[in-house]
Amino acid sequence: MKEGKSLIEKIKLIKRDAQKRKKNYREEQLNRPISFWIKKDRLVNEVGKEFTIILRTRGCSWALSENGGCSMCGYYLDANNEGVKDSNIISQFDYALNNKINEIKQDSNNFVIKLFNSGSFLDDNEISKEVRNYVYEKISKVEKFKEIIIESRVEYITSEKLEEIKGFFGKKHCEIGIGLETVNNYIRNNYINKGISFKSFKDALKRCKDHDVGVKVYLLFKPLFLNEQAAIDDCSNSIDVLNGLGVNSISINPMNIQKGTLAEYLWFQNRYRPPWFYSLFKCIKKSVNKGDLNDTRILCDPSGAGTKRGIHNCLRRKCEYSAKKILTNFVLTQNIIELEKQEYECDCKKKYSLRKAFY
Amino acid sequence: MTYFFEVLASKIGYSRIGRILFSKERKLYITTPNVIIPIKIALMKQLNFIQEFENHELFTISKDFFLKIGFIREKFKNNAFVFTYPGTIQKFQEILEENNNIFSQDNIISSIPFNIPTTSISVEFAQKEIRNYLLNVEKILKSYPSLNFGLSIKIFDYVELFDYYIPIINQFENIKILNLVDLFENLNNFRNILKIIFRIKNELDNNLIVMVSGRIIPKYYPILVYLGIDLIDCSYSLFLSAENFYDTIEYLLPIYKVKYFPCSCLVCKGNLKNVINNKHSAEKIDLLSLHNLITASNYMKKIKQYLNYEDFRVFVEKSSLDETNLISILKILDKNYNYYLKYETPIIQKSKIIRSLGPLSYHRPDFQYFREHTIKNFEPEPWTKLIILLPCSAKKPYSQSKSHKKFYSVIRKFNEFPNFQEFILTSPLGVIPRQLENIYPVNSYDISVTGEWDNEETNITAEMLIKLLKKYDKKIPILCHLKNGYLEIVKRASSKLPHDFVFSEIQDKTTSIKSLESLEKLIKQYKDKFQLKYNNLKNEYLSKTWNRKFAKILDYQFGIGSGNKIMSNGLKTVHVRVNNQIDLIDLKTQEKLGFFKFSTGQIKLTIKGFRKLILSLHSINSHYIVFDGDKIQGNTLFRRGVLEFSSDLSPNSQVIIVNKERKRIIGSGELIVSSNFLKNSKNGRIAKIYEWK
Repeated sequence: MKEGKSLIEKIKLIKRDAQKRKKNYREEQLNRPISFWIKKDRLVNEVGKEFTIILRTRGCSWALSENGGCSMCGYYLDANNEGVKDSNIISQFDYALNNKINEIKQDSNNFVIKLFNSGSFLDDNEISKEVRNYVYEKISKVEKFKEIIIESRVEYITSEKLEEIKGFFGKKHCEIGIGLETVNNYIRNNYINKGISFKSFKDALKRCKDHDVGVKVYLLFKPLFLNEQAAIDDCSNSIDVLNGLGVNSISINPMNIQKGTLAEYLWFQNRYRPPWFYSLFKCIKKSVNKGDLNDTRILCDPSGAGTKRGIHNCLRRKCEYSAKKILTNFVLTQNIIELEKQEYECDCKKKYSLRKAFY
Repeated sequence: MTYFFEVLASKIGYSRIGRILFSKERKLYITTPNVIIPIKIALMKQLNFIQEFENHELFTISKDFFLKIGFIREKFKNNAFVFTYPGTIQKFQEILEENNNIFSQDNIISSIPFNIPTTSISVEFAQKEIRNYLLNVEKILKSYPSLNFGLSIKIFDYVELFDYYIPIINQFENIKILNLVDLFENLNNFRNILKIIFRIKNELDNNLIVMVSGRIIPKYYPILVYLGIDLIDCSYSLFLSAENFYDTIEYLLPIYKVKYFPCSCLVCKGNLKNVINNKHSAEKIDLLSLHNLITASNYMKKIKQYLNYEDFRVFVEKSSLDETNLISILKILDKNYNYYLKYETPIIQKSKIIRSLGPLSYHRPDFQYFREHTIKNFEPEPWTKLIILLPCSAKKPYSQSKSHKKFYSVIRKFNEFPNFQEFILTSPLGVIPRQLENIYPVNSYDISVTGEWDNEETNITAEMLIKLLKKYDKKIPILCHLKNGYLEIVKRASSKLPHDFVFSEIQDKTTSIKSLESLEKLIKQYKDKFQLKYNNLKNEYLSKTWNRKFAKILDYQFGIGSGNKIMSNGLKTVHVRVNNQIDLIDLKTQEKLGFFKFSTGQIKLTIKGFRKLILSLHSINSHYIVFDGDKIQGNTLFRRGVLEFSSDLSPNSQVIIVNKERKRIIGSGELIVSSNFLKNSKNGRIAKIYEWK
């Protein structure tokens, strides 16, 4: 592979090679969502359940642009290059909802419905206004859905679209997930290649607050080119700043290695290691105090946790299981004490402290 | 700003002994070279760690927790610390601000971190990152002008990017330490490593402390010290412990493989052997950490001992044999950097045995210096009528050996023996004129002798022989009293020279009666074959052996013709047994011109001796320093007092010191450093003064 000159060129080169192996989806596949599931989750003030739907669209505009997309994101491989019609997206949504609606209605828990399209829900090029309105309408009629989460880049969060949301949901709590990744502009744009400024985020946050729409901020824990301590510093700084800005939720996403990404390229060469659980716990304990949790939800549901492509300690089953359990309990209870509990004392903690400076 | 670091002695290669002044009031000095022991919470919980290292001079701390006053001030007040923060530079700035009062204390210095990015994807990417880092560095240095800092240097394998660091290093005087973070990550890139080291030594202030951190294992320490590294962060030894490696220096052994503990530290004598089979044991890692740190620390003590008191170069050669890249580094240094290294290397070593171990030793800087200097500065005595080539001997100087005494018994039978020029052939020094047999390193080298010479040895000696013999009239006969491998040297030389070579008949040994008879017969036969052109050599003619030697030693030290100038009135020699030296007295004026020390093989000239050497103070072009004043106080000359200096100075060179108008000689001394150091520094000790005017 020719060495690209800049981060963008490198990302594009890797994607180009990965996409050579990709096939287009058939019509029946385009009518089914990529995935959907129900599982336990933390709502704003209670433990409940999430109903998550991953929609297949034409893909994130940022990833499709000349800028190449984010350095850790491999979701472009799930998108359909030829485009996905409105009818397909509606079919995907209906399929998932129809499949789970009875289960939802019979469950005693309240639900949060999460609509992810690995792009921007508010991007008209990806999901049209008509589709959005159809989806909003359907959701508004399900009593159990107390909270709604969609995702969008900041440039698509306009007053008009926020009014739309409020118009449909009224008392339901809606949050827009924004992939800020870090409050540090340099890391965000030079290592993650996000293409947004902190100022533009703050402007979007203000617009959301003005329209009484909540904001959930995604923070990437240990982006490429950072070591463990830098990851802790960066993420805890971000949490401090975001608490000060009064965001509704912070979702910490530890890096996971996705196919066809610069992250995978470096990981294969042992030039990047996903973070340790110990680092994540340190970060949260450092920057979150009890008082903060009254106002801001801290969420964390890492992909690939406990595997070599995701956040992991030593990969021994007992250790990984224990760490995942601690994290889940913390998220569900929003109680910092959960992070102090140590059911399984693994010797890898010692190794971590001695090796940390070199990861 | 007061000095932070000073060089106390230059040693072979770029190695040096120095000290860091952490506190003048409390006299807190840290000697270099040295290892920096990492302090971790896990280590501090081990009593053995505290016992073992409480008197160690220098530690790294990486958590701001350790900056709290109680810890630094009370527990370790006689130690010094380097704060190396492992996270972002922004967080480091916060810590700096919060703990400014602690950093202003006198036993801690922080190294500005350059931890991210951890890797680079292209040279353009690396360039951008370095520029961004240096912008942050500049802000920090400007914000805290009265604090000293270390500067982390990363080049991501792109040698050319080192250029970006130079302006900022030269601009800010509060950068005291250069912390090379990734230079030794990949030892396969040894050529790049050497390029950077060379640039540091030749373009930057030589009073900057050079530190290395990152993936450094103790096996590299000798070569690092040889390259002029002053401080080594041994945190990587902890990483290796976490990977279950047991360091024996020669090897990093997986702990489960260790059956016989080759170390008697308190860990290896203690519980380690009981836990090695526990696959997942925190105690095992703790003990391994301690053992590996002790090993690193002890190895550095050994290095310091040898650097101070033994021939350090031979130790570097021996230790390099554990890693092929280290061998490559030495070879490239000797081959490609010798022009610079020979001026950095002391021209003498006192009272040491200098062992030549093999091909790695042949081109060491002091040996190359000797060979080049001899060829350049040895001028034939104009009364030479016959050249005799002899083999070397184990005992030094050669004339004290049994074999050479036997040769002498033949040669000195002839009254005209001063007309004979003896050359001794030897490996790896080449060709030794008899007059130079007492100088360094001829007076102290040792090599394995089997009669067999390898091709390189033969070439070195043959080429030197050719260059020396070319200085002689081709009609002067050359008698060879040699056997075995020596003959091949003469064969190669004779094929390129017009001279007549004649060979004595060697029966059994060169010292056998028959062999010596053959030599005597040849001398008789050939001693008058060559007619001297100049009959009236009375004034120059030297018949006394020591006078002949001193004439050539002076030429060797100060240039061709120096011997004649200094001895122009004739010379009286006085053996001073108590000092193991010979005083050189001017025969006419009875003034002491200098003295020759057997331990160093060097003549030290007095001011009177120097006066004879110099025609005019305005025209001297070597071995001089112009002092910024009319009188020197004390017995040390410092850099600040130096206005001008000659460019050919090596450590242990002698210099004449003149006043700033160049009208008077005000002292003489011996250099501690080289011309290169003088060129690249503003402070520091330069020379020891041994005579004042």
